[in-house]
Amino acid sequence: MTTAAAPRKAPGPGLRQRLGRATPYILLAPGILWLVFFFIVPSFQMFLTSVSTGSLMDGYKLTFSAHAYDTAFSQFGRQFANSIIFGGTATILTFLIGFPMAYTIAFRGGRYKNLLLFLVIAPFFTSFLIRTISWKILLGDAGPVLGPLKDLHLIPESLSILYTPIAVVAGITYNFLPFMVLPLYVALEKIDPKLIEAANDLYASGWGAFRKVTLPLALPGVFAGSMLTFIPAIGDWVNAELLGGTNTKMIGNVIQDRFVGQGDYPTAAALSFILMAAILVSVAVYARFLGTEQLTG
Amino acid sequence: MFEENGTDRRIISRRRFLQGGAVAGFGAFLAACSGSSTATSAAPAASTAASIAIPTPPPITPGPTVAATPKVVTGPLHWAQWPAYIDLVGKAATAGAYSPGSSPTLEEFKKKYNVDVNYEEKIESNDGFFATIEPQLVAGAPTGWDMITVTDWLAAKIISKGWAEKIDQSNVPNCVANLRDPLRNQVWDPGNDYHYPWQSGMTGIGYDKTSLTKNKKPLPKSLADLWALPANKVTFLNEKRDTFGLGLLKLGKSADPATTTDADLQAVHDDIKPLVAKGLRFTGNEYLQDFAAKTTWAAMTWSGDLASSGSADQVWVAPTEGSMVWSDNMVMPKGATNIYTAELMMNFVYDPVIAAQIADYVYYVSPVNGAAAEIAKLDPPAATNPLLFPTAAVVAGQHNWQFLSDELETLLNQLYSDLSGT
Repeated sequence: MTTAAAPRKAPGPGLRQRLGRATPYILLAPGILWLVFFFIVPSFQMFLTSVSTGSLMDGYKLTFSAHAYDTAFSQFGRQFANSIIFGGTATILTFLIGFPMAYTIAFRGGRYKNLLLFLVIAPFFTSFLIRTISWKILLGDAGPVLGPLKDLHLIPESLSILYTPIAVVAGITYNFLPFMVLPLYVALEKIDPKLIEAANDLYASGWGAFRKVTLPLALPGVFAGSMLTFIPAIGDWVNAELLGGTNTKMIGNVIQDRFVGQGDYPTAAALSFILMAAILVSVAVYARFLGTEQLTG
Repeated sequence: MFEENGTDRRIISRRRFLQGGAVAGFGAFLAACSGSSTATSAAPAASTAASIAIPTPPPITPGPTVAATPKVVTGPLHWAQWPAYIDLVGKAATAGAYSPGSSPTLEEFKKKYNVDVNYEEKIESNDGFFATIEPQLVAGAPTGWDMITVTDWLAAKIISKGWAEKIDQSNVPNCVANLRDPLRNQVWDPGNDYHYPWQSGMTGIGYDKTSLTKNKKPLPKSLADLWALPANKVTFLNEKRDTFGLGLLKLGKSADPATTTDADLQAVHDDIKPLVAKGLRFTGNEYLQDFAAKTTWAAMTWSGDLASSGSADQVWVAPTEGSMVWSDNMVMPKGATNIYTAELMMNFVYDPVIAAQIADYVYYVSPVNGAAAEIAKLDPPAATNPLLFPTAAVVAGQHNWQFLSDELETLLNQLYSDLSGT
């Protein structure tokens, strides 16, 4: 009917649609600004420090020399190894202790779920430092753990736990346990019990159902929990400082001593970068290993 | 009509994410590059190029001449101190830690001058404490302290870099009159313009008799004995000059800064390294806690600590090979706000009666002439205590290894770093 006029242009997106599309960016803006100002900018500055030379007394000059990385790689192999071994062991231990705890609370908690969760978090009401110092007393040579055992002659008098790797790993495990338990609990809580029922109906044994249904569904929790535990654990320095000896120093202690004790900022910055790189690589490998599709639920 | 294939345009696509990230990252890089003008601190103090063998004292960089401080008592006096270094009574004495109101000397001072004293036992080691004030000193900012008590080598460093406030000698007549002669005319501050000694002390071997006998180990009399004990029950000092000084004596090398060589230090390092592998630790004053918990059986310790804060079981001996001698000095860091009050405190503690009171508790060697006579009146057994009044034999074996050349100090730092694992 109407004559074929010039083809009409499609109306452009209105203001409401534009706002709609911009919504994710607006919501992300605070987080991104935070990351930029408190992470990306300091990281660049730290990188520039790591390629500078000088001392606190004489000032630092940006010379783009790699001597700090040289020192970092050549002198601290043992401390890097300590960090990875202690952090890794502590993560595995928190998993072995935390998974049964989370499973019990999620599946068998019933009325007491909230109370049990509270008990898991309760130690956090005390300062991290105080709790670690209290472990120094607990693990002491004549303390409440070793003292009675020595009096009963069950262990030799000269046995020491304090200032050995065992004390450091124990301290890290204790301090990071809630970080493992809570994500595991959240993931296990979401599992529909009917799925396990269905598995049983299809002739799966108790252990088979666990292995084929529960565990894969809990993987996002396992990943989150192990990241929240492993990453801070390998950078930890409080436990090695208070509970460890000279041979159990971790990279965190070296960075702290170089930065605060010796004023050697370039080496400290270089060590921080190397640590960051090591963590990124480990996390990437781990994510690959677990299978990324499963991690996003 | 503009919905493409059903994809929800509100979800961030990968391209948008990468574009945004690149922009943010580039902006951050620009901000970082422009913002980080690498620190141009105060011009480095002119340090003499010391020859290797003979350390020359660093020249004192005097500050601009300031008008004499007005004689007005201001407070509170902020004093950074080591633990177990002033007389205590009551619960604090049993605990071995200062708490406000627990020191008779400080209480008398507060009453006499009507000013408060904020006495903090903040110093566990010279290096550790210096790290907390070095950034401010370098930047020329106040440190928050009016007076600090630091060992000879650190006092020398602070004074030579011009980081100490000058003392008005007319405000400290007691110090001028009563300072013991052996402590006068220090190479690094001959006129006592910037420091007055607080206490003198010795570094030697401290041990716990019960722990050693229970475990059938001999009581150490020499440094060789100390090296022979199980290393995980022994601690050395994180005060490098004391640890390496005693190490030199143990190997029979000279502990005179003018004649120590690089090879000597290397030898000491190699002598201590096997002990580290077996569990040796380096501590500051924390050894007091380790002794209390019986974790440590024997250690390199400072002479007065175990006597004042330890139990009767814990003993200090000067090793047969010799011991280290040093002084801790009262210095006012640059930027101190209550200089007159600090000078009054220095003057107050150089009164022989007060000095005797302090020495009788801390068991260190008082720098004040006349303290000996007062102690005899106050506490007769103390007048013959070898910690307060070392015997001639001990004095003959004392060495002062505080003041090192720059090169020796750099090597010392490197070797100690290698031993301590950081």
